[in-house]
Amino acid sequence: MNEFTYYITEFLNHIIGSIPLFGAELLLIATFIVSILGSLFLAKRFPQATFNITCIGLILTLFILLQQYAANTVGGGFFDLLLIDRLSIISRLLMGFSALVIALFMRQYALKTKNARNVSDAYSILLTATLGLFLLVSSTHWLMLYIAIETVSISSYILVAYFAAKKQQSEAAMKYILFGSVCAAIMLYGLSLIYGFTGNLNFASQEQLTGLTSTPNVVMGVAFFLLFTGIGFKLSFVPFHAWTPDVYEGAPTAITAFLATLPKVAVVVLLARILQSWTASPFFYSDILIYGVTAVAIASMLLGNMAALRQQQVKRMMAYSSIGQIGILLMAALVYQGDNAHILLYYLTIYTLMNLAVFIFIDRLEHQLGSTTIADYRGLGKKQPLLFSCFTFVLISLIGLPPTAGFMSKLLVFSSVFDSFQSTGSTCYLLLLIIGASTAAISLFFYFKIPTTAFLKDYKQDSTVQNPNDSQVDTLYILAIIFSFSLLILGLFPSLLLNILK
Amino acid sequence: MISITHFLIVSACIFSLGIYAILAKRNAIMILVGIELIINAAILNFVAFGRYDKIHYGGQVFALFAMVLAAAAVAVGLAIILNVYRHYRTINPDQITDLKD
Repeated sequence: MNEFTYYITEFLNHIIGSIPLFGAELLLIATFIVSILGSLFLAKRFPQATFNITCIGLILTLFILLQQYAANTVGGGFFDLLLIDRLSIISRLLMGFSALVIALFMRQYALKTKNARNVSDAYSILLTATLGLFLLVSSTHWLMLYIAIETVSISSYILVAYFAAKKQQSEAAMKYILFGSVCAAIMLYGLSLIYGFTGNLNFASQEQLTGLTSTPNVVMGVAFFLLFTGIGFKLSFVPFHAWTPDVYEGAPTAITAFLATLPKVAVVVLLARILQSWTASPFFYSDILIYGVTAVAIASMLLGNMAALRQQQVKRMMAYSSIGQIGILLMAALVYQGDNAHILLYYLTIYTLMNLAVFIFIDRLEHQLGSTTIADYRGLGKKQPLLFSCFTFVLISLIGLPPTAGFMSKLLVFSSVFDSFQSTGSTCYLLLLIIGASTAAISLFFYFKIPTTAFLKDYKQDSTVQNPNDSQVDTLYILAIIFSFSLLILGLFPSLLLNILK
Repeated sequence: MISITHFLIVSACIFSLGIYAILAKRNAIMILVGIELIINAAILNFVAFGRYDKIHYGGQVFALFAMVLAAAAVAVGLAIILNVYRHYRTINPDQITDLKD
């Protein structure tokens, strides 16, 4: 024990020195505790107390992150458990902002469904999920990453199950937690193998890279397969996508919007970091990893877009289309080299804006019609011109047609993939480009089902579907319309955002 | 003399048992038990490998955190399964198929 006494002062100084880097997360933890206390003691007198605490906490967190952004903070802390760089600061800003929108979304959902139960705890869970996501993008240490992934997963299970009142919702929650826990457990086994082979838990460290080089290839292949099972579940790429349609359909729309955006952003950033440090070093699996990611991306794009073609439920269609979108996200992660983070971040920002806007529109229509079937949208385009014009515009952006921001973001990703193809001459980049472009054409057919049904078919009064009224205007709806317009503006002037991200 | 190979073989056996319990899927609780088995196999690996990591003790710390997280996930899982049982009166995943293509 005595040999440690010399180091204790040094350790303590290091820990105290790391605390400023951890400011945003500490504030989230404090907000979480305050919000739990708020829901315990204030919920009876002020029903919105927890929501307000959550919003204030998230806004203050964004403020701290903006300070880090302005100061251009870079550095590691807590014995390399924490890594703060440009990528982590900007992706955390994006996720903090989206969490704020999701909090508004959840409030709207709770108000509209007139849920008699006290929903204030759901906001606290949203805060823990955000905390996990923040840690996920700011670490290269497997211990931290596993804790972060599990924090996000457990919070997501609770969020899906929290509002479950109907049969299908509880089924979705059960499928989600069983599938998710299995994948997380398998990933843990893979991590234990990697730890055993390399003796180090930091995937960016030199020791782990040399350890990976000297391990037998077959064993390493098993370990990688197990590891990517866990990552694959969170990103829902093929063949770990089976839960996505069921959970997206069964979960409340506010939670579906959460699942479709925030965890994807965080895990793509993580995957980009892993691929960057592993493919750069010359060990047996560095090439095979690229082939594997390419194969998975191609399979996801084909299967997601094909399966989306025959969906009648709009949420199920969005689930399959998000599997297709993952292919492009994997392409963006594959070409991440450290200095071109702005391409990845631009794509992630636009992806988040599009998906949030689409789910806000779906939710609004769901509350008006009481249904999420595409056929029930018929003739509504003339009744609600503003909603459906914006909806159509966001869908055009999801396909990736000009002049939208979706087009610009895809163009940036595709052109950097093409650059990699020219510099390496590897056919897998070319295959990615071909499949990416052709599946975008396929996606035209199912995304355009919504505007054609809404604008070209006649409105019919149906007894099963309620009469829609467009009188209510709420914050969330205005926000979705602002998102649609910003997609247009960012599509015409992408440098507005790219300069911030550089 | 018990070497590290023995630990690895035992943990691989536990891992396979866990996978079997999950794939057989008669009962949602059995799937949770399978998950626990896999996690324990991984923890055994971590502690066995941690013996060679005298500087950081990364494996042992990881094992502690993995236990805590596994307990949390299982607590949430049991609550959700209870909720499913209230609606369906069964917890056999093969009979709970309202959501499908």
